Amino acid sequence: MSQSSIIGAGTVVRGNLEGEGSLEIYGRVEGDVSTTGEVLVGEGGAVLGDVTAAKISVSGAVQGDLRGSEAVLLERGAKVVGDLSAPRVGIANGALVRGSVRTEGEPAPAAKRAAGPGLKPATFAAKPVAKTEPKPPALSRVSEPLEAAAPARPKEKAPERRPPPPVLPSLGKGAKGKKKKDRDE
Amino acid sequence: MAGTVIGEGLSVEGDITSDEEVVVQGNLRGKLTSSDAVSIGPSSVVQADIAGQSVSIAGQVTGDITAPERVDIQAGGRLVGDVKAARFTIADGASFKGAVDMEV
Repeated sequence: MSQSSIIGAGTVVRGNLEGEGSLEIYGRVEGDVSTTGEVLVGEGGAVLGDVTAAKISVSGAVQGDLRGSEAVLLERGAKVVGDLSAPRVGIANGALVRGSVRTEGEPAPAAKRAAGPGLKPATFAAKPVAKTEPKPPALSRVSEPLEAAAPARPKEKAPERRPPPPVLPSLGKGAKGKKKKDRDE
Repeated sequence: MAGTVIGEGLSVEGDITSDEEVVVQGNLRGKLTSSDAVSIGPSSVVQADIAGQSVSIAGQVTGDITAPERVDIQAGGRLVGDVKAARFTIADGASFKGAVDMEV
């Protein structure tokens, strides 16, 4: 309970909120929000700034980018002007968005997430830990960067080419001069 | 349930304005204004001027406190700053450095 925070409907925060634990916003926040837990922007809540969290649910208004390390979910009635990026992005029927959407990063498999709390240190290292955890070999192979496997482009020896023979104009110098003179007269 | 809670582990840098009860258990730097009660929890560190209907301090506060009703420093609380209030109590075990104005 002590880890969760609430910005009530009658409250305005001008500045940045940062830390751990979950945060529910029913009031107004003019500044960036960053937590390691969940952020809920409730109905009537408004955020003017970027939001970074593990999971972000929006039923209110946000003007700024939403970055979730797990998920970004826009519920019915949400109004978002900004970019969304998370492994899982959900936009419900009736939610309004203006911005680009990117589903990036590997969504944590259920088994891995279940093992998370046991391995997690007490400090706020939850996000990096999830990514460096030892994975089953099949998964690690999939997540290896693909660039290394890309074959080097074979070097082609340019065949010796000669420029095409010059094309001579059909009209000689004299002919052109004559023509011009004719027109002048 | 209080209207606004800044939980333990959360830091706010900036101004908070509210017309409902505000409970700070985390850290705050800036300014806190409420037309209702304000309470600063035992684990919190606050560097801000605080204005509220009544203000209760159990954590560490640096800043001036203004309350039309009352200001209470609980045991274990620590306040460095001036207090302007109609009623003012300092519990046994609390520390306080500053001036008091009770509008006599």
